[in-house]
Amino acid sequence: MEKSNRFWRAILLAGPLAVFSVFVIWPLLSSFYYSFTNWNGFNPEYDFIGFSNYTKIVTDKLFLNAAINTVIWMVAAILLPTLLGLALALLIDSRVPGGTIFKSIFYLPICLSAVVVGQIWVWIYQQDWGLLNTVISLVTGETMRFPWLAKPDTALGSVIVAWSWQQTGLSMVIFLAGLTSIPEELLEVCEIEGTSTWQKIRLVVIPLLAPATVVVVALSVINSLKGFDILYIMTGGGPFHSSDTLAMHMYNESFRKYLMGYGSAISVVLFLVTLTVIRIYFRQLRKVDEIHG
Amino acid sequence: MIELTKRRLPKAAHAAPVLALAMSVSLASHANEVTISHYFTGELGKAAIDRIAGNFAEESGFTLKDSPVGHEDFKTDILVRAAGGSLPDVFSYWAGARVQFVVDSNSLTPIDDMWAREGMDDVIAKALADSATLYNGNRYLVPAGYHYAGFFYNKKVMDDAGVEEFPTDWEGFLALCDTLKEMGVAPIALGSKNRWPAQFWFDYLILRTAGPDYRASLMDGSASYDDPEVHTAMAMWKDLVDRGYFVENANADSWTDASDRVSRGEAAMTLMGTWITGYWNGNGLSPGEDYDFFEFPAITEGVPNAVVGPVDGWVISANAENIPGAEAWLAYFIKNVDAQVEWASVQGALSGNVNVDPSVYNSVMQRASAAVAAAEAFAFNYDLATPPPVAEVGLSMFAEFMDDPDNYASLLSDSQDAAMQAFDN
Repeated sequence: MEKSNRFWRAILLAGPLAVFSVFVIWPLLSSFYYSFTNWNGFNPEYDFIGFSNYTKIVTDKLFLNAAINTVIWMVAAILLPTLLGLALALLIDSRVPGGTIFKSIFYLPICLSAVVVGQIWVWIYQQDWGLLNTVISLVTGETMRFPWLAKPDTALGSVIVAWSWQQTGLSMVIFLAGLTSIPEELLEVCEIEGTSTWQKIRLVVIPLLAPATVVVVALSVINSLKGFDILYIMTGGGPFHSSDTLAMHMYNESFRKYLMGYGSAISVVLFLVTLTVIRIYFRQLRKVDEIHG
Repeated sequence: MIELTKRRLPKAAHAAPVLALAMSVSLASHANEVTISHYFTGELGKAAIDRIAGNFAEESGFTLKDSPVGHEDFKTDILVRAAGGSLPDVFSYWAGARVQFVVDSNSLTPIDDMWAREGMDDVIAKALADSATLYNGNRYLVPAGYHYAGFFYNKKVMDDAGVEEFPTDWEGFLALCDTLKEMGVAPIALGSKNRWPAQFWFDYLILRTAGPDYRASLMDGSASYDDPEVHTAMAMWKDLVDRGYFVENANADSWTDASDRVSRGEAAMTLMGTWITGYWNGNGLSPGEDYDFFEFPAITEGVPNAVVGPVDGWVISANAENIPGAEAWLAYFIKNVDAQVEWASVQGALSGNVNVDPSVYNSVMQRASAAVAAAEAFAFNYDLATPPPVAEVGLSMFAEFMDDPDNYASLLSDSQDAAMQAFDN
């Protein structure tokens, strides 16, 4: 019986494993390999150049710029949806009128692809007739024609806002699920003891939401690391590299400058950074699991 | 799931010859199939390609298996296909440094034999053939059509401003811009969101002040972005921005946004390639009535008159499976006058075929054709004149310049460092 199970396990795993190997493991190993070459993508011939691509990274100003932007992107793309999602969940959980409708509305953006979300926000930010400038013009009474995505000071922030708009719904739903698991008696005790709303949230709700927070942050980390498409659609890393992240920089070097070898080296560095972040995160996750059983 | 039992075997045996026939028919049809990829995805361009491909199939017996990709995405797509060793038999590409890059990467098939066999010397204009088709001593490309960049303007705006003669020198150009500005119309629209539209300004200012030879040396890395010649050109560009001639926030607009500003009368003119005529015609504007064009004026006396533009072409990949079919397509596309006329019309392009009578063009394109014919030199625009990694440096620099023109000296210095690195790669 056990032997038969093992056989079927192997058979059922073989397919996904083969797909995973072809589409993930093999490209990953190829990237490592090409990062030591000067391959340009077109030429089947190339030379091994040792660690030259890696030493170039150290002196590449655009890489440093992209690395800084990546840190900003990750921190903001994790913090904003988490905090906003928590705030919305608490608001809806407090049984405000129309809470169910708001829950559906706030959740809707997560159903859209990042490309669609990106395009919607490109229109919102459009300088002549975009919603944002139109609203500001109406409120202030002065014509506003600010090119949010075309200015280096606002491009990255504008994309982060669009990203957060999409991701907040997911965080909210997870926090709402977490809120249902908090025992009513605890909250009643808080009220009997006369604690303020803020004290109740800070001392009871947030600590008991730790498992939900872990899930939200995990998803935010993973999603933010995948956040290439929305940047590509909204700014393409521009204007003049001001919203380049490491993924975008890797794309530019590989596909616009035809420096596949160097692009591969950047992707290897990005992979190692991601691996480190994920490892640190999972270590923390285990600690939380141990505390909460 | 069908089980192949003994009872069914006789039926299978009967089916075998049918299957074999079907397979041989399939293989034969593959032998006549030419795989092709291109960036002509606009409604009119795609329809024209389909019609031309249909006629080509009837005449030659070869069918095209088409996989078009949008203009900007094509640059990535073709590289991905090259990296995977799956380039189509034929693909469209931009003559100049981009084709040179692919030739140097051993990814194209030379077409010298086909060139001689089809008598291309008698078909393609010599100047165009010399500049766009020859790489490392061999022919690699057949031009599909070519474009010319000039000032395309809103005729009503210019009429309202009382402009009857268009400037041929720099002072005249500045005076025209002043007149338009006083009238309350932004003289120049530029949509540099995708960076490349700004390159025509750099190209013409360098060509008109330092000349085509200096510009060629800048493009091949033997001159520096920090040279006085480049500083002079950029200072003139900055002067135009400082005078308030450009619509604000050029980096927020695409080239079509800028074209729309001109067609709506918010701006008077835009420096753009002749493809703008295809765009405007598609929007219902009439050449010569709603819009027209004039050439970039002369600046420094004695500098040869050069014109700028791209050449779209067809090339055959090195691993093409159907070279006879691929060569037949290239020859058909340029030699068939009807195909060239249709293509030029929908693309807003000029034909490289000497047998195409310029009278088939609309009035604006006729004058564009005459301007190219009268020019002393034809130069590829910046991103087709310098290697792709270097072009990336310059294109970003132009966009940054439009955001902060005061900083141009430092931008040029940084660009020179980055360009040298890119040339070394």
